[in-house]
Amino acid sequence: MTAGETQELLKTIADMLGKGLRTVTEPFPETDKEFADILAQLRDLEVDDLEGKLVVSGFVDHPFGPDQQRCMECMYYLVHRRWCDLPELAVPVEPDWWCRLWRI
Amino acid sequence: MANLLWLQGGACSGNTMSFLNAEEPSACDLVTDFGINVLWHPSLGMELGENLQRMLRALTSGEMPLDIFVFEGTVVNAPNGTGQWNRFAGRPMKDWVADLCKVANFVVAIGDCATYGGIPAVAPNPSESVGLQFLKRAQGGALGASYRSKAGLPVINVPGCPAHPDWITQIVVAVATGRAGDLTLDEFQRPKTFFTSFTQTGCTRNMHFAYKVSATEFGQRKGCLFYDLGCRGPMTHSPCNRILWNRQSSKTRAGMPCMGCTEPEFPFFDLNPGTVFKTQTVMGVPKDMPTGVDKTGYIKLTAAAKAASPAWAESDIFVV
Repeated sequence: MTAGETQELLKTIADMLGKGLRTVTEPFPETDKEFADILAQLRDLEVDDLEGKLVVSGFVDHPFGPDQQRCMECMYYLVHRRWCDLPELAVPVEPDWWCRLWRI
Repeated sequence: MANLLWLQGGACSGNTMSFLNAEEPSACDLVTDFGINVLWHPSLGMELGENLQRMLRALTSGEMPLDIFVFEGTVVNAPNGTGQWNRFAGRPMKDWVADLCKVANFVVAIGDCATYGGIPAVAPNPSESVGLQFLKRAQGGALGASYRSKAGLPVINVPGCPAHPDWITQIVVAVATGRAGDLTLDEFQRPKTFFTSFTQTGCTRNMHFAYKVSATEFGQRKGCLFYDLGCRGPMTHSPCNRILWNRQSSKTRAGMPCMGCTEPEFPFFDLNPGTVFKTQTVMGVPKDMPTGVDKTGYIKLTAAAKAASPAWAESDIFVV
């Protein structure tokens, strides 16, 4: 994916979230089994089903929860590429976003 | 000359394979340079049947001195404490072990099975396996917590799955050449010279650990294996990244997570589905922190490290 394509995809995701796309933010996967179940749901999606990815993983375009968790501190977030490196997602993200696959 | 006897209980021979690969010193060096007389070894011993039994009886009776007794594999007690599932030379192996440990100057447990029970002792432990002086973290094992060899030492534990070849031969040489007194053991009776530092010590991915860049799949040429792939390097005592395997590599250098095989709890979480090669978390935070780090400090460190990480930390570090 070129830098231009990445930027375009980021804008697309931001637009979808900005227009109020309802995503599944709860329940947060407390255990690894629950986490793995969400990953399995993501793998079942069509490769180009962007909206499905966002919905299943519970994306929001702001920090989340009492601890104000955000992509910036997530282990999967690549700071310089502004990229979520979780193989099942692999999408550009902003540092102040969040999803329920957040891990530190 | 120091007489050495090596026996195997509930074992896969992995530590024998490791021992035969030793380089510094090699298995041959033990004989030619350090005066060790290998009385018998499952893969090397020439005696069979009655000849072997006669030699074992000579050792247990004290007719022949036993300087070093090396044991590989678990002590098998099944069924119902009889040990009949692991018979050797006409009787349960556990009985030979008990008798030989009474007459040995030094007893060395090689590998995770002989030290702490290892994989055979995973619940439900059908073979009723124990280590020589431990079962996991609990002292006792086959010989009891108070056991001391004739030289006054507890079992010297050299864990690992397998133990590194040179850990084995170097400890054997130290004992055979009268330097056992120089060995200091930790609380799990591991020689401190090998088991004080961590697997992470010398890991080539330490910069990725520091900058919180994660490897998310096996074999990636970037990223720390701790955050997602269950690497136990930060809390496992071993010199795997100081004394390299085959003199050149280690699990973590090859992109494979450390499984913590030198620790008493190995294999962790009893190999339950979803626990292998996956960092266990509670609400997104690792259950097992690097040794000496608490949750609050870890979260603060992560935020600072991610914010400060350089661009190169996200690129491959090993380029073909």
